Amino acid sequence: MPILTRLQLHLSFVFLKIFLRDRQSIFFSLFFPIIFMTVFGFINDGEQQAINIGVVDQTSSTVAREFVDQLIQSPVFTVTLGEEAMLTRALEAGDQAMVLVLPEALGEDDLATSTTNLRLLVDAAEVNQLAFVLPALDQTLIEIERQFRDIEPMFQLAIEDVQARSQSYLDFLLPGLMAFTLMQLSIAGSGFNIVEYRRKGILKRLFVTPIKPMDFITAIVLARTGIVLIQLTVLIAFAVLVLGVSIVGNFAAFYFIVLLGTLVFLNLGFCLGSVAKTQQAVMAVGNIVIFPQIFLSGVFYPIESMPDLIQPIAYMLPLSYVSTAMRDIANEGATLMAITPSLIGIGLWFLIGFYLATRLFVWKEVAN
Amino acid sequence: MDGVTPIIEITDLAKQYPLPDNKNETFWAVDGVSLSINRGEIFGILGPNGAGKTTTLEMLEGLNDIDRGEARIAGIDVRDDPFKVKQVIGVQLQANEYFDNLSLRELLVLFGRLYDRDVSPMDLLESVQLTDKANAKPESLSGGQKQRFSIACAMVNEPKVLFLDEPTTGLDPQAKRNLWDLVRELNDSGMTIVLTTHNMEEAESLCGRIAIMDHGKVVAEGTPQDLIMQHAPEPPAAPLHGNLEDVFLALTGHALRD
Repeated sequence: MPILTRLQLHLSFVFLKIFLRDRQSIFFSLFFPIIFMTVFGFINDGEQQAINIGVVDQTSSTVAREFVDQLIQSPVFTVTLGEEAMLTRALEAGDQAMVLVLPEALGEDDLATSTTNLRLLVDAAEVNQLAFVLPALDQTLIEIERQFRDIEPMFQLAIEDVQARSQSYLDFLLPGLMAFTLMQLSIAGSGFNIVEYRRKGILKRLFVTPIKPMDFITAIVLARTGIVLIQLTVLIAFAVLVLGVSIVGNFAAFYFIVLLGTLVFLNLGFCLGSVAKTQQAVMAVGNIVIFPQIFLSGVFYPIESMPDLIQPIAYMLPLSYVSTAMRDIANEGATLMAITPSLIGIGLWFLIGFYLATRLFVWKEVAN
Repeated sequence: MDGVTPIIEITDLAKQYPLPDNKNETFWAVDGVSLSINRGEIFGILGPNGAGKTTTLEMLEGLNDIDRGEARIAGIDVRDDPFKVKQVIGVQLQANEYFDNLSLRELLVLFGRLYDRDVSPMDLLESVQLTDKANAKPESLSGGQKQRFSIACAMVNEPKVLFLDEPTTGLDPQAKRNLWDLVRELNDSGMTIVLTTHNMEEAESLCGRIAIMDHGKVVAEGTPQDLIMQHAPEPPAAPLHGNLEDVFLALTGHALRD
């Protein structure tokens, strides 16, 4: 037996087609996130002209002094001198784009005969900047090198990745907005649509045909998942191509979380659609579910910045788990293994939603 | 009559509902309805609002649980085998809205798929004279066109029995006549048709037999002629003849219903 029946596929395709022809829904589901991203994208612009580089000079030798002077003169960099611990913190806070550590060996006498390792600490979210910085840095190093000798390369750059928090607010905002958008689309797809279909008598009409409730639910889940994937891909493309947002992590892992999140919120939507009998009721109940999560789930600002009293509750909201997982992957390049706590949270919400949905969504009662 | 066999057999069918103003009390919306509807006839169920017509149909269609009694359609027990019944019936409901943004053609293909059939939407549309509306959306149709389209939807599975719930309510006289012609045509092709109506003229001209329901019970059953003979008020002196409306009012009273 095939996994999906012809009817399920056909109905999924029909639901997808209905959505794609609904220009208003498409517009509104994309409008809000795009406006937000664009506004914050522009606020952030200008800020990143010169690259902030922290330099740790552990030598106080003339070679190092000359090298640092060259860096300071370069228009590409804004140099801050300091200790490694302090500058690494600044890097993590996003105040520095990278930190260059000049080792003690740089001042020693055998300089002319050996290759010295310089350590460059970077923010993983700034890899696109790195590609642009490295040649400039290399060039500076090569010039210094030439002053000393012509035979061997004197420096070799070893890049170390510290998982610093992403530098721009836009990087932070994007995964949260994605999670929020997928929640909206999912709850609307199951919850709001079911109430609308019932009001129009469509469910009743379907009920008098031999369609099984499983066919109907499968089709909604498939179609909505497709819609969410399309919409989020459009948003990501916009963020990356137009606004220059960087996504560090694995796209497959990112979309895996998107899929899980969609299933969680579709389940919750089925519960809503079964409980609320009128359009007004589903909007009211839907807002109770959606509204607090906009503010409490770390979509616009980190949960850590909330009052201590609210934090434990905020962390347990379904959108918190989804947005945290998506952000960890997108901003820090976290693997699925690394976000196990979020995955467990998402899994628990899926089970709760699935249990309630199967209890509440009784085909005959929902149809009537 | 030769070859008259029942296709729908209803015995003591009943449905209980809570009272609207007192949820603890119940009343019988349908209370012991027994009917035998023959293959190939047009059968009308008449009655004032709240008489139990729609509830009776909904029990036959599987939309409503049967609280007492039993019903068989084409030999299939409605309660035991609702999915099998759904395969052989076509249903037109009072509300006839559809998914947004789909054309008539697309909707008919979808309805066909619900029965695991590949239908020819154009043939179906032709049979209800809507060929030129194939790419239109249902919301753009007139009242009569909407009803004809919902009959087309009900025919995708070539049903043995077609249920029509108040098919001509709200239609203008032309659209009404046009729909009657369609119903007769379908009936001529061998389809059994069960319809509810408030329209006496409709019952009289369209239905071979009718049942009049009131307070959840069948109060009279027979051909329109029989019913007029039995129940219409006696002509006062001279050749004045009653019509079916007189029968209806004589049986169900003059009080207004909601």
